[in-house]
Amino acid sequence: MSYKGHILEVKNLCLSLCNADGAPVRILNDLTFSVRSGEILGLIGDSGSGKTMTALAISGLLSDFAQADSGEIIFEGEDLVKKSPRERRRLLGEKIGVIFQDPSSALDPLQTVESNLSEIISLRSKNKEEGRERILRMLKTVGFENPEQIAKRYPHRLSGGQRQRVLIAGAALMNPSLLIADEPTSSLDTVTSMSIMQLLHEMCQEMGISILFISHNLNAVRNFCDRVMVMKEGAIIDSDTSWDIMGQPKSAFTAELLLKSKLDPKALGISRGVAQEDAPVVLSAEGISACYKNTFFKKAHTTPVISGISLEVKEGESVGLIGSSGCGKTTLVKTILGLIKPESGTITKSGKIAAVFQDPVSSLNPAHTVRWHLTEALEASGRKMSEDERKNYFLKILEDVGLSGKHLTRFPHQMSGGQRQKAAIAMCLVQEPSVIIADEPFSALDASSQASIIKLLSDINTKNGTTMLIVSHNLRVIKAMCSKVIVMDKGKIVEAGDTDTVLNDPKSDTTAALLKARMYEA
Amino acid sequence: MGSAVRTALIKLCEFLLTALLVSFFTFAAFAIIPGDTARVMLGPEASEEQVEALREELGLNEPLAERYFDWLGNAFRGDFGNSLSFGNPVGDLIASRLPVTLGMSLIALIFVVAVSFPMAAVCSRNPGSIKDKSLSTAGHILFAIPPFALSMMLILFFSKVLHIFTAGRYTAPSDNFGAYLVSLLLPSLCIALPKVAMTFKFLRASMIEFSQGDFVRTAKSHGLSDLRIMLKHIIPNSAVSSVTVISLVLSDIMGGSLIVEQVFNLPGLGRLLLSAISRRDFPLLSGIVFYLAMMTVLLYFLADVISAMIDPRIRDGRAA
Repeated sequence: MSYKGHILEVKNLCLSLCNADGAPVRILNDLTFSVRSGEILGLIGDSGSGKTMTALAISGLLSDFAQADSGEIIFEGEDLVKKSPRERRRLLGEKIGVIFQDPSSALDPLQTVESNLSEIISLRSKNKEEGRERILRMLKTVGFENPEQIAKRYPHRLSGGQRQRVLIAGAALMNPSLLIADEPTSSLDTVTSMSIMQLLHEMCQEMGISILFISHNLNAVRNFCDRVMVMKEGAIIDSDTSWDIMGQPKSAFTAELLLKSKLDPKALGISRGVAQEDAPVVLSAEGISACYKNTFFKKAHTTPVISGISLEVKEGESVGLIGSSGCGKTTLVKTILGLIKPESGTITKSGKIAAVFQDPVSSLNPAHTVRWHLTEALEASGRKMSEDERKNYFLKILEDVGLSGKHLTRFPHQMSGGQRQKAAIAMCLVQEPSVIIADEPFSALDASSQASIIKLLSDINTKNGTTMLIVSHNLRVIKAMCSKVIVMDKGKIVEAGDTDTVLNDPKSDTTAALLKARMYEA
Repeated sequence: MGSAVRTALIKLCEFLLTALLVSFFTFAAFAIIPGDTARVMLGPEASEEQVEALREELGLNEPLAERYFDWLGNAFRGDFGNSLSFGNPVGDLIASRLPVTLGMSLIALIFVVAVSFPMAAVCSRNPGSIKDKSLSTAGHILFAIPPFALSMMLILFFSKVLHIFTAGRYTAPSDNFGAYLVSLLLPSLCIALPKVAMTFKFLRASMIEFSQGDFVRTAKSHGLSDLRIMLKHIIPNSAVSSVTVISLVLSDIMGGSLIVEQVFNLPGLGRLLLSAISRRDFPLLSGIVFYLAMMTVLLYFLADVISAMIDPRIRDGRAA
């Protein structure tokens, strides 16, 4: 890797956005950093710290209403801030590539992969045959074994990981000198994330592309980047080589971020929920299979999404359910909750089951306050309370989850991701369930919020004695919280048992692959 | 491709089923509403025996189901019986009026598409700009004017002020195709303008939504110009959702032509319908209503087919 010069220098960049009342809010505050040619530079920080705004400011993709107040962005010796939007757009196609967080809607759904990618080629060369050749070669480079078939496919027939590969192929086709990757793996499962990061690493080394890698995933950054910068409130507060910053953080904030991301059970003060010897079984499933039914005219899928699943959860214990995406975890959860009717098998449950889902943004109704959500959950549980009783009860529950009375009148958009997830958990608690099923409750949150939600769920488990079934692809979380673990692959349970036994001595290839990908997980 | 063929077959079955149901309800409605066809034909002077004889002759005493299947069988052969007031076969009467109504609908549709897409594209580029606000306001005003008022204003303006149009002059397409088009131009405009406003309003919202979408951001990061992004990504994507709206607009256009034909004094289907109603000409009336209902069902079927042609997700049987 050559460290000769700086490909990008950001000097004293300040940027403001208007809030809902029209008052400007400073997003980037005197931001100064540089990217050396041929390096991978990591940028970490909590959500809202200005990481994505930095990416948008450099790439020139900010909306017209947000422009740099002052400062310089010097790319290959030229100040981008002084350039016209048209010139900056041209630069985007040639020298700067960008890939974004969520690949699900980042490709035009009406066009094939080839057509989505050909727009990059056609800007530069008129030769169609040659362009097609280049696209196929690049699809092969990013790891598709059957580029011809992939090129003909429409985006909805690709998985999340495959779409992100296509987008990376798009960015690489431009042959840029700088690639900005904004959380490129955070919506993908661990195994897929690992392969995407390896791909980026190869591109950096073989094509000499410098990469600005934005993430809240500290482990990924540690293993993948040459240098790391820590961002807080729109400014860089710490920067060093990745080994030094992870080993000996200079600022207290970085140290705290690291501690939280390690999810060390001792530091968090959490312990695993273990069932008593003679604890009764609160949830059991025997030989259940399920598939998605289609409409009136269409036949159901012939291959079930999950099949032959049997499990048993005892009162008070905390069970982890792991597996890569698409293995049927969520289908199993939906079947247990009764949202999908099983084709065969029986589910026995004693007491109520409540659920927390992955995305706290869409699982709360945006038109209503926290109080409305709690009242609805209370009414659904069938209990009657007077106005005063209800208010005191809500206040107590909110306090339990780490919110306060002032949050009762808040709408979902007025809270952070972590607060929304806490409100969702409060809704669960109001129902006084015997089992809480949490489906990927942390993966949409940043490191700090993740740590607090894990602590909360663990406390509910160990102190209230509520049984937990936690679905996650994050082994670190499962290891810290769960006494038992179930591993799924392709709709079947491949391994189950005591957490330490399964994770220390995996019997199945699936578990081994999950463990191998662990160094990249959040 | 198997799933695409299956989706098409399912759509076709849905279409046939809907058409059958609509035909039944049309027939049943005319069988139930008061007014005895035989009595109407013979007039109030005729005796009870004469009316009963005619009822027998026309088959009106048969059970409803039997009459329906007879009528359906004839209808599929294009035979709706003879009009009571004109004496000619109903099918011929409808066919003779079609050039006016279909021609106006088509011209209006072309006008709606040709105007609303560019207007929406211009507005969605800079929502909230002066251009956007003035075009949106113009749209709202057009939307609020009823077609008959608009017709009269346009007739006054073009014939009394500019002296380039004579209301009520109609040339058949077989006589002079150019003159035929010209004679339909102004009435088509009257039908189209409020619909332009409606389609524009919908398209503008959908284009603004798409232009903030992730795949547009990807296209920007690929270095495409705003114009190419509009043509390649935003317009095709908003076309998918607008196909349904345009099919609604088109069935509305056919309804709108009933009034405009009256104002412009054109020999279209709408005037035929009005005269059938006022003369209690049930065979003619049920024929026209059946025809209009079938056209609407057919339009929705075509809209589904076109959406599936544009959107691969619909071909695969998924919601867009």
